[in-house]
Amino acid sequence: MSRPGDWLARRNGNQRLALVALLLGAGALAIGDVDSGGRVTLDTRELAAIVEGELDHVTPEELADWIVAGRADYRLIDLRAADEFDRYRIPGAERVAIPDLLDAGLSRDERIVLYSEEGIHAAQAWMLLKAHRFPAVYILLGGLAGWQEHVLYPVEPVADAPIAERAAFARAAEIARHFGGGPRAATTAGAALAPALPTPEPPRIAAPVAPPAGARPAAKRKREGC
Amino acid sequence: MSSPTDTAHGGTPRAPAPYMNPYLAGIGLGLVLLASYLAMGRGLGASGAFSSACAVVVGAVAPAHAAGNSFWQDYLQAGVGHPLKEWLVFEVLGVLAGGFLSGVIARRVRSVVEKGPRISTGGRFALALVGGALMGIGAKLARGCTSGQALSGGAVLSAGSWAFMLMVFAGAYGAAWFLRRQWR
Amino acid sequence: MNLPLFKFGAFGDEASLLVAFLIGIGFGFFLEQAGFGSARKLTGQFYFQDMAVFRVMFTAIVTALLGLFYLGWAGVVDLSMVYVSNTYLVPQIVGGLLLGVGFTIGGYCPGTSVVALATGKLDALVFVAGIFLGILAIGMAWPGLEGFASSTDLGRLTLPEVLHLPFGAVVFLVVLMALGGFWGAGALERRFADRDPADRGEEPS
Repeated sequence: MSRPGDWLARRNGNQRLALVALLLGAGALAIGDVDSGGRVTLDTRELAAIVEGELDHVTPEELADWIVAGRADYRLIDLRAADEFDRYRIPGAERVAIPDLLDAGLSRDERIVLYSEEGIHAAQAWMLLKAHRFPAVYILLGGLAGWQEHVLYPVEPVADAPIAERAAFARAAEIARHFGGGPRAATTAGAALAPALPTPEPPRIAAPVAPPAGARPAAKRKREGC
Repeated sequence: MSSPTDTAHGGTPRAPAPYMNPYLAGIGLGLVLLASYLAMGRGLGASGAFSSACAVVVGAVAPAHAAGNSFWQDYLQAGVGHPLKEWLVFEVLGVLAGGFLSGVIARRVRSVVEKGPRISTGGRFALALVGGALMGIGAKLARGCTSGQALSGGAVLSAGSWAFMLMVFAGAYGAAWFLRRQWR
Repeated sequence: MNLPLFKFGAFGDEASLLVAFLIGIGFGFFLEQAGFGSARKLTGQFYFQDMAVFRVMFTAIVTALLGLFYLGWAGVVDLSMVYVSNTYLVPQIVGGLLLGVGFTIGGYCPGTSVVALATGKLDALVFVAGIFLGILAIGMAWPGLEGFASSTDLGRLTLPEVLHLPFGAVVFLVVLMALGGFWGAGALERRFADRDPADRGEEPS
């Protein structure tokens, strides 16, 4: 009865497919743009739980251990300005400015450790990557200042400190020397101010250790084209 | 995929099945390409697998040359632990298997030299060799072939892929006049 | 759902190789079903005898494009994570021309030659050997060619950016172009059909 129905019934398979394509194409024209990347969604409760549980931190000591052990299963991102980066950087770090973060070739299947001078930029970058659904993003606790304070120039415990604390310090001092720093003595008014950062090229790790079994090999080129 | 000869029984070999309706084959191909984008975030390809294989051979035969050459290194450093454990290599092995599967189903697997009546087998082989070499050169200059650039890049609206696609048709039609006797 | 799966870490590198094999099977199957294991069928395109190459290729592009567009719109797939190869305009124009000439001379392209090989075409075997020679030549000449091959690097450039049009508008244009092309392909085939009756006999359909 209905004339459009009759018309449709007379079309062959190919013509019906063409009609479907035309309708979908017209729908696309009506929709216009598809947001790709710019606008994001956040699961605020999940993020709050991560922040609350402090699951998003890597302490400077942990990071130092990773570097000394030669682990290659993470990427260390320095968010500071280029001149600061040139003056000093944590060994293995690569510099990425926050606006370039999403185009820096970071992959969602790798562990990403962020640091800035003290931590504000790292926290902002953490939020940005989390919003783009990067699952494994961590902040270096205390930023570069924390690295300086705890790894490069650990404070020697007072003379009557327990044995365990002194033993831990011996190791910390060893690691500090690896990275070109060294221990500093405690004073009555707390720790002395940390000395300036080592200069100018970051010192090489004295004894690079073979990566532990199970660690991924150093990042290889990932091809996606022909 | 049914033809009148499908129903023939007995000892006589059955004729190959007709080809699929091109639009249905195109939809099938498009869905495979879409699946690749949804699963991997990358499209299909072919020439990259040839390059990986070539790079491995060069790396074995002339390691010093390969070590100082960024083209070979690009392929030799790819792959999951080994340059041949590379995505495109496994995809092309799949193409070999899928093509064979379809050929068996449609009774089209047959050892044959496909050529026109006026050309010798040697002549056809010479043209195939020259055409293949041009294809290899063109695909590497353009960073992809008809699969990786025209089809996969076309579907994600890459500007370079569309320029490439137009040029492939331009080159092919331009050469066709000179080769019009090849298939007649 | 978080798509593309691999980029969200749904499976690892090793498993991705299995995915590659399975996707390749689908790719090879439909290429062969379309008749692309035959050089005669493929090159029929360039003599206006059989426009299957154009039909299959543009139907596939439109299908995948519409799929990506609507799934991206629905928020199912993150389109920013879909790989778009960089544009190197001049090398791609030159490479495309060479590849097109090679297509007509040799009768295949790399992907279809694999399918032809799988169905027993010996000329495809020679063609594959030719591809290897071509790649070998390019690789050895690479130090001299690299400058040209990396020239006019326009980065990740897409047609909506070039045309200053919304993504959906370009999708619509591609659909219109494809449908217009399909209509024109039929007209061309009818016009050129009488030019070479010998070719028509090979058409199994």
